[in-house]
Amino acid sequence: MVTELPWDERSGTLRRDLAAGMMNPACKHAVEAALQIKENQGASITVMTMGPPAAEEVLREALAMGADRGVLICDRKLAGADTYATSFILASAIRKKCPSFDLILCGAYTSDSETAQVGPQLAEELNLPAAAYAENIDVNSGNIRVRRLVDHFRETLEMELPALVTVSMERYQPRYASFSGLDKAFTRAGISVLNAEKLGISPADLAQQGSRTRVRMVFVRKAQKENVTITGAAARAASEFLDRYERKIGAAIGKSIEAKK
Amino acid sequence: MQFNPCIKHKLIRNSARHFAETELAPIAAEIDQQRIFPRDAINKMKALNYFGLQVPEEYGGAALDSISTAIVVEELSRVCAAVGLCVTVHNGVAVYPFLQFANAAQKETYLPQLASGEVIGAFSLTEANAGSDAGSVEMTAVKSGSDYILNGTKIFVTNGGVCDVALIFALTSLPENKLQSSVFIVESKYPGFLRGELEDLCGMRANPVSSLFFEDCRVPEENLLGKLGDGMKIGLATLDNGRIGVAAQALGIAQGAMEAAIKYAKERQQFKRPIASQQTIQNYIADMATEIMAARLLLYRSCELKDAGAPFGCEASMAKLYCSSVASRVTGLAVQIHGGYGYSKEYDVERYFRDAKVTEIYEGTSEIQRMVIARAMLSQSMM
Amino acid sequence: MVNKQKSIWVFGDYRNYYQNRVTLQLLSRAVDLSRIMKAEVCAVLFGHEIEEWIMEYTAHGADRILAIDHPSLTSYSTENYLALIEKLARERDPDILLIGATDFGREFAPRLAKRLQTGLSADCVGLDITSEGLLVQIAPSFGGNMLAEIVTEHHRPQMATVRPGTFKEIPHNNERTAIVERLPLPADLPASRVRLVEYERAAQREHRMENAAVIVCGGRGMGNKNNFKKLDELAGLLGGDVGATRPVVYAGWAGHDSLVGQAGKHIKPKILFSFGISGAIQHTAGLGETDFIVAINKNPQATMMKMSDVAIVADAGDWLHHLIRELKKRIRE
Repeated sequence: MVTELPWDERSGTLRRDLAAGMMNPACKHAVEAALQIKENQGASITVMTMGPPAAEEVLREALAMGADRGVLICDRKLAGADTYATSFILASAIRKKCPSFDLILCGAYTSDSETAQVGPQLAEELNLPAAAYAENIDVNSGNIRVRRLVDHFRETLEMELPALVTVSMERYQPRYASFSGLDKAFTRAGISVLNAEKLGISPADLAQQGSRTRVRMVFVRKAQKENVTITGAAARAASEFLDRYERKIGAAIGKSIEAKK
Repeated sequence: MQFNPCIKHKLIRNSARHFAETELAPIAAEIDQQRIFPRDAINKMKALNYFGLQVPEEYGGAALDSISTAIVVEELSRVCAAVGLCVTVHNGVAVYPFLQFANAAQKETYLPQLASGEVIGAFSLTEANAGSDAGSVEMTAVKSGSDYILNGTKIFVTNGGVCDVALIFALTSLPENKLQSSVFIVESKYPGFLRGELEDLCGMRANPVSSLFFEDCRVPEENLLGKLGDGMKIGLATLDNGRIGVAAQALGIAQGAMEAAIKYAKERQQFKRPIASQQTIQNYIADMATEIMAARLLLYRSCELKDAGAPFGCEASMAKLYCSSVASRVTGLAVQIHGGYGYSKEYDVERYFRDAKVTEIYEGTSEIQRMVIARAMLSQSMM
Repeated sequence: MVNKQKSIWVFGDYRNYYQNRVTLQLLSRAVDLSRIMKAEVCAVLFGHEIEEWIMEYTAHGADRILAIDHPSLTSYSTENYLALIEKLARERDPDILLIGATDFGREFAPRLAKRLQTGLSADCVGLDITSEGLLVQIAPSFGGNMLAEIVTEHHRPQMATVRPGTFKEIPHNNERTAIVERLPLPADLPASRVRLVEYERAAQREHRMENAAVIVCGGRGMGNKNNFKKLDELAGLLGGDVGATRPVVYAGWAGHDSLVGQAGKHIKPKILFSFGISGAIQHTAGLGETDFIVAINKNPQATMMKMSDVAIVADAGDWLHHLIRELKKRIRE
């Protein structure tokens, strides 16, 4: 069994939690899910990330938690990939390093409003059945059952392996790595580093499978304070306020509060 | 000297920091005020090797190097110094003498339990009339058959309220009627081992510091650590190591206080701008950061010497002296930056301020450290 | 060669229609964009017994509706929907495809983009058209502190998932008409590899205050403990949590676990109601990432009023009473 841990180079290079050498919390939950599957069914766990050389730390941490080996995809030529290209690169690495995987786990979302697109796109790239936002994963011989909460529906899904599942932050509270585990994660080999060439990705592939989107510009989100002042009799002011902001409030609370017509 | 910590050290720091911020930060203020020993958090730490930091793997420890160990204590203390104290005393002065002086049987018996945290250790030298002057211990251990019978009182024992094993310094009579101190491994379950009330201290209040009373407490002779009369030797060697731990603790407190002060200075507005824009505050921050950096390098230097097997006592004293005085200054400034709020229990810096003071006192006061350092300097220059 | 009719597609996501009207919001924005691009707005709708949605999308701006109604489409299925839209998109080549950033949308859209070999931006908070006719997708970036303008230059359709609440829907208009194409379920639709074993509508999700979407905070301006307790009712209506300032906690109106600020919880709700709070830094330091602040205070000069999006000059307790009454009239479960 193999678990993959995608890491988005574009955000990775600039992200605070990576700069501090911490694994993205959602990915950590995915690692925990993999460890629990390993404990129950037996498995070999490969963790994979794409990023700058410093991303090795993330893999070491996963090894310390109990993963069996790590794969770091590290190449300046791959920097700046969007999720389309990233999922292609990760799929290439998976085909190369663990072609007979049973299950791919990814973090369902990241803590800082990243795209959460790599997991589903990786499933598409590898033509796998997939489920996002898993709260619970049961692996039985050859198939997998996933419980999840999507858009206020609690669903149980079932699919054959191999499959891809993204893990939510609800249930798989990641374990802390013990210091003895951390120490050992550095004494054994366990991590292979791959560049585009070793992955067999040619410049032509990169052009063909490269990013579909282009960032035209990035700007600081303006403090869009409307600074509206509402005065007047409380009863009228309350109704005026709700009329004006019904959509905003409705979206935040997940209920419509538009005045009945 | 290695100025850039390796990835391993960084990961160990992140790991300890993550634990401290997740598990200790939410309870630190309350356990300080209520004087609660946080058993749940401590139990979690046991499973993660916090109690066997430098114990070899064969005994179930994590076999970390000394810089890693200092980093762990630093990170715990950055959030909750009382828990940092529990860990550093256990590892630095209770487990360490076993590693250095215990015989094979003693190691076999005690190290696995200590490393797993199943057994929490304490180190007990101080008495009412013997603190810095370790030679004036009054507690006695009298041979009776194959046992020693211990009588006397130890005070200010860190982890005293919860320890399962304590290393007790007591006077023993040697041939030619010489009285010299020796060290005994005393289990709390031995009859005659009694604990006093928990001390109501200024800081480190979540650590169960207490007195220990020994009333005809029988200790089997195989529990003698090292040789008869080795007390002074074991004591001094252990204190050298313990000083690294206290230095790490002081450094962590200083770091935590500085971070709180910087955060506050950026948020607190006076005269319509953050006080961080005032030059006076900026000067405070610059001084804090510089001193903390210097303290950290001094500390890691002593760790490095220790791991290289070189004498490190003088450097450990320097680190302890300097880190603790930095902790006192930095926490004082952090309170100052917070103004009235910093003097209130609502803000963590008030606790840091109280916790910092004792780092200048225990494991040898700053005055004793200066004595140790000066002695080393003077003996060098005579060579 | 005949110029192809340009087309903006909106994915019809109706499963939580009463809670989340993102599809109507997207139709509305698509109508705006279609005027610039001279395109038609097309809603794509799969399901069973979907007449209600056909009417709804027509009334809210769709020019054309591609509808597939079949019992096998009763529940949502990523794999089925992928196959259906892929087929339609390959046949008809839309210029733009917009999908609500619901949980389902964010699971489904990335796969679809990959399958159509095109670009996709996530959770957009703005959409526009460049002078060259490209769709500008404004998406949060770098932890949400920055916004990025993203374009898909060379591949079609240009795809975006869009955050619910970003656009205002066009009022319902019964007079509107649309071309409704009722399409058959393709005979060669492959069986989904993912089986839906069971599903049920979930109860409200448990949450912690730090993650709450709506927080109702009260300060000393609430006057007394009884008034303060009424905040619970408002929070209940909004599915949110109650927070408190230090003086309120000290006065015993609220527990310490409700304290918001430097020494308490740091919150990041989508909407914060701030009742009778002056806005001392010890409190406001805990509000760093709040999207939208509504402050109610008798004193329009209070710091909290100045840092709010909407400042309501009123007695906090009094206004709260009226707000609760008005909300109860409006909330539809």
